Amino acid sequence: MNRSPTPYLLATPAGVLLVGLLIGPLVLLLRVSLYEPSGGRGFFVPHTWTLTNYATVTDAYGLRLLGFTVAFAVTVATLSVALGYPLALFVRAMRSPWQQLALAGVLLPKLASLFVLLFGLQQLLGEAGPLQQFLLATGVIATPLRLVRSWWGAVVAEVVLILPYVVLVLGVQLGRIEPTWEAAARGLGASSLQVFARLTLPLSLPGLALAGQLALMWGMGALLGPLLLGGPEQTTLSVEIHRQAFEYGRWPRAAALAVLLAGSVGLVVFTFRSLFGLLLGKH
Amino acid sequence: MTEVLRVIEVTFGYGRGEVLRQLSLSVAEGQFVTLLGPSGCGKTTLLNLIAGTLTPRSGSIHLRGRDVTALPPERRNLGMVYQHYALFPHLSARRNVAFGLEVRRVPRAERDRKVEAMLDLVGLTAAERERKPGELSGGQQQRVALARALVFAPELLLLDEPLANLDRHLRDQLRQELHRLQRETRVAAILVTHDQEEALVISDLLGVMAGGRLLQVGPPAEVYHRPRTPFVARFLGEANLLPGPLLGGEPGQLVLVRPERCLLGSAAESCPWSWEGRIRTLTFLGADVLAEVAGPAELSLRVRARARDALRPGELLRVGIPADAIWYIPDADEANP
Repeated sequence: MNRSPTPYLLATPAGVLLVGLLIGPLVLLLRVSLYEPSGGRGFFVPHTWTLTNYATVTDAYGLRLLGFTVAFAVTVATLSVALGYPLALFVRAMRSPWQQLALAGVLLPKLASLFVLLFGLQQLLGEAGPLQQFLLATGVIATPLRLVRSWWGAVVAEVVLILPYVVLVLGVQLGRIEPTWEAAARGLGASSLQVFARLTLPLSLPGLALAGQLALMWGMGALLGPLLLGGPEQTTLSVEIHRQAFEYGRWPRAAALAVLLAGSVGLVVFTFRSLFGLLLGKH
Repeated sequence: MTEVLRVIEVTFGYGRGEVLRQLSLSVAEGQFVTLLGPSGCGKTTLLNLIAGTLTPRSGSIHLRGRDVTALPPERRNLGMVYQHYALFPHLSARRNVAFGLEVRRVPRAERDRKVEAMLDLVGLTAAERERKPGELSGGQQQRVALARALVFAPELLLLDEPLANLDRHLRDQLRQELHRLQRETRVAAILVTHDQEEALVISDLLGVMAGGRLLQVGPPAEVYHRPRTPFVARFLGEANLLPGPLLGGEPGQLVLVRPERCLLGSAAESCPWSWEGRIRTLTFLGADVLAEVAGPAELSLRVRARARDALRPGELLRVGIPADAIWYIPDADEANP
């Protein structure tokens, strides 16, 4: 038996971080969600226990927010993977140094501040922005489109934020597919399409599952996209939490919403994995 | 004999460098051709050109009289076995073998029959057929790779060092099986290897490659006993290359004498060429020993003798070369342009 303390020592910093910065705040969050809301004096009434906050976040309004958040996350995740997979395949087919350059290009937006990125997007998509002006000038559209402060504005912003991660995760998985397997398949008589359908796609599935899951989790927690490029209609749970906590100072309600969000993220991910497992089971 | 493959003056290179130069080769029905050469000589490149994964710079490749130079790999109907097998990791052994028939849309009943027959032929057990490549041993993977390449009755079987990653015992066994399979299926095959023993044992025709050229092609015994260049002589087995004039040749010639053809002691007396020499080193090879015998004028000869002859280092004895043991070759390897 290996009784060396080294592995435990190595795990200590991560353990401290996990307990101190994740589990601790989560316990605190749970506790705050059980305080009675204050009537304007302070953020909550200390030394109280109640479930009323959960009743208020699971009313019709709360459930509509939840439904919107799930629909938003599914849309964003679907688009991110649908755009990211071809992009990752394209990057993989490149030769070095172009491959490295393309990957750097994909990751470049992540070096800019999120706010700079999203305000830039706002300008780009806005009615006075170059995109719409170009479309108007060339007659592709007759009247300006509502791309900012709308559903699609929020979706586009969130996809821009998530796409690089999706491409990275898929790139790692695609890197595990040996080019000789594809060459062998061609040699055995498979057309390009057959090679993709019988080899590349099935071997990408684990990466697609992971990328899809990541995108879903990010989409469920979407805050900045809907906040900066969505309209009042595009209120996700995170936007509502932000509003309750920082605009109205209703900490217990914000905390209860956060618990609801965390629970639903788990449920959505579980559902996604189960559906994907069914899909994989066929192979 | 019908010609299956004809490679005509194929040249290939990356950038400015040339990997293959003006190479021609012909393979007939049922023939087993081995291409032997040091690593980097272009033998795997030639295989990839025939398979269609690479396209030649100039020259052409013909399969049964049809020019396939511009045809993509999937339309050439060739079976290829890779050095690392390249089995599809997500499919069972059986599905791997069925792959070539599935993409050809062979009806299911016929496909199943052919796959099972081929798996019987390579000797894979029922349980092994359901396993994925990662759960099979190297030898089993090798059999699956062979079955996969043979099941759709290819025009030609291409083997890229398929035995290189197996231990010696398994390699010998699988080499024999490979030979048997090729005989039974009567498919023409090209094997690429750097293992000269493999090349001598298995082939109908043996080609020696170096520097992107095919130096000599012929039956193994012919290439071994009558090499055309000093490189071929040295590359296949042990070789004594002596100055030609010493043994009745002309200036500018070398004489090849294989160590096993040299005679020692009283047997050397009757040879046309013989001299007194001293054993400098002795290498034990099991049944045989290899003796390096220093003669007059710095003449050194390697002689293969039986171990039971009990030779000793430093011993003085007569070495002889029989008249039929010598082969003259020009003292120049083909110049590289």
